[in-house]
Amino acid sequence: MITEIVAQLDNVVSTLQTLLYVDVVQPIFFKVGLMGYDEDTYDALYWVIIGVLEILATFAILRPLEALRPIETWQDRKAVRSDVFYTWIAKLGLINLTFFFLLQPLFNHWQSLIAIYDIPNIDVDSIWPGVTDQPVVSFLIYLVILDFAGYWYHRWQHRFGVWWELHAVHHSQQQMSLWADDRNHFLDDIIQAAFFAALSLFIGVQPSQFVVLVALSNVLQSIQHVNAHLPVVPFLDRLLVSPTFHRRHHAIGYGHEGTRYGCNFGVLFPWWDMLFKTAAWNRLVEPTGIRDQLPVPEGFARNYGHGVWAQQFYAFGRIARRLRRVASA
Amino acid sequence: MITPDGSSLIVADSVSNDLIFVDPRSGKVQKRMENIEDPYQLGFSPDHKWFVTAGLRLDRVDIYKYDGHDLTLAKRVPLGKTPSHMTFSSDASTVFVTLQDSGELAAIDLATQTVKWKMPVGNTPAGLWMTPGDRELLVGMTGEDDVAVVDWHKQQVIKRIQTGKGAHNFRNLDDGKHVAVTNRVVSTISILDYTTLQKVGDITGLLPGPDDMELSADRKTLWVTFRFARHVGVIDLASRKLIDTIVVGRSPHGLYFADRAPVYAPNPD
Repeated sequence: MITEIVAQLDNVVSTLQTLLYVDVVQPIFFKVGLMGYDEDTYDALYWVIIGVLEILATFAILRPLEALRPIETWQDRKAVRSDVFYTWIAKLGLINLTFFFLLQPLFNHWQSLIAIYDIPNIDVDSIWPGVTDQPVVSFLIYLVILDFAGYWYHRWQHRFGVWWELHAVHHSQQQMSLWADDRNHFLDDIIQAAFFAALSLFIGVQPSQFVVLVALSNVLQSIQHVNAHLPVVPFLDRLLVSPTFHRRHHAIGYGHEGTRYGCNFGVLFPWWDMLFKTAAWNRLVEPTGIRDQLPVPEGFARNYGHGVWAQQFYAFGRIARRLRRVASA
Repeated sequence: MITPDGSSLIVADSVSNDLIFVDPRSGKVQKRMENIEDPYQLGFSPDHKWFVTAGLRLDRVDIYKYDGHDLTLAKRVPLGKTPSHMTFSSDASTVFVTLQDSGELAAIDLATQTVKWKMPVGNTPAGLWMTPGDRELLVGMTGEDDVAVVDWHKQQVIKRIQTGKGAHNFRNLDDGKHVAVTNRVVSTISILDYTTLQKVGDITGLLPGPDDMELSADRKTLWVTFRFARHVGVIDLASRKLIDTIVVGRSPHGLYFADRAPVYAPNPD
């Protein structure tokens, strides 16, 4: 039954993909001499359509929950608007497009060098022939590997000051909602894309080949940020990162302070937090944001920017100040 | 790409960087050959001594020696930008490769694995077809609406045959006279007379993105993949009408069936 539903959904997306490509994109590409990108663009459109459908589906399912069972009630939702913009940019593939033009040729070149100089890489599919090359098994292995990598990437975002200033754009949201997942500094998005592209050089498969994997991850991460009381399922929250678990990560004073620079870094699975002792299971709801956003004396009333471009720009100012402090120390 | 002895069909997997050998009749996987980097297009030289892969993403052509069973890498030839399709000279001395993004045609000496020359041909050259007697190279110009006719001896474009937007790939019709070319943007197939270098007709009413083609052994039906429509189509050549479509997976590309009309050498099988 699930297979049938997925197949039907795939048909719908593919039909839209064909219509959009043949009637809109291809004529433009032909006219402006970009036919060398036609096949990649056709393939990428599938992602874009999935992204749009994801937005519509998560909004349709999660927004009513936020309205009916909010964790926090806000008089003014203006602060959420920038997150809507971030979400559309991410889901329409604009970050991926930027990466494709800026960095993909470099990664292709490195892949070529790895082959020329016979640098070994891990071929995950062939670890246990007959087992690990089965699609479901292969999918699960890649899911776990990429999640493990995501956990450490996230820890490093909190650990290294300059990197934290980029990631702080995400944490500066004091009205966390289903839209917050894609609220990121664009430079950090590119760095993350480069990180996973580099990883894929060594495990042999581009994450982009796992449409279902990435789509699933995106949906789960939207749920993690939702501003709604969702029932806690005791065993399930040890299997998958729950909204409560992730909200703790965003909590002022808990999510990004302390000797490990925070807690609950897991992307899909809390296992790595459990393994590396960064898990915090306290379910008490705390305000989200960064401590120095709070008014004096609790914080410094620091402004992280109210609109997208201010948020992006102010990060560079914080980085510059940080580097000046280091230089003068 | 069928192996020279006909025992295996090689399917190129450019994502996982390997070749999958499949029984051409049953479709059963026979083996996988790993670490074949970014194999977008494949070809055996007419003397079956060389196996060439065009690495579209890696801007490289890899040349392997073939002993009838195994492949041994001879050389990786950097070739910007975006090498895609290939064909060979009948004496197996040269492989010709189109470079999509730089709009060029390159000739590589197989024995020394060195680039002999490159020449501009136009916007986004794709499929290549050598006319019998090695007279001319026909180049499908996917960024234009014609097939470029190249005198490769003189490295000159000597004619352009108007077909339709997005001329892409070729299939001889095994009648000593005609070759079909897909026009992927306008979604038609043009029939060319390669003896006179003229277009003699078009097949219209197709699904979006006709790409690769195969001809039945009786020469009555032409099969085509519709790249942007997830179908394979069957065309009756007598009426030049699409008579059947078959749902396949996403973005079908190459097409092969065991009982097919011969492909004219030196074009890759």
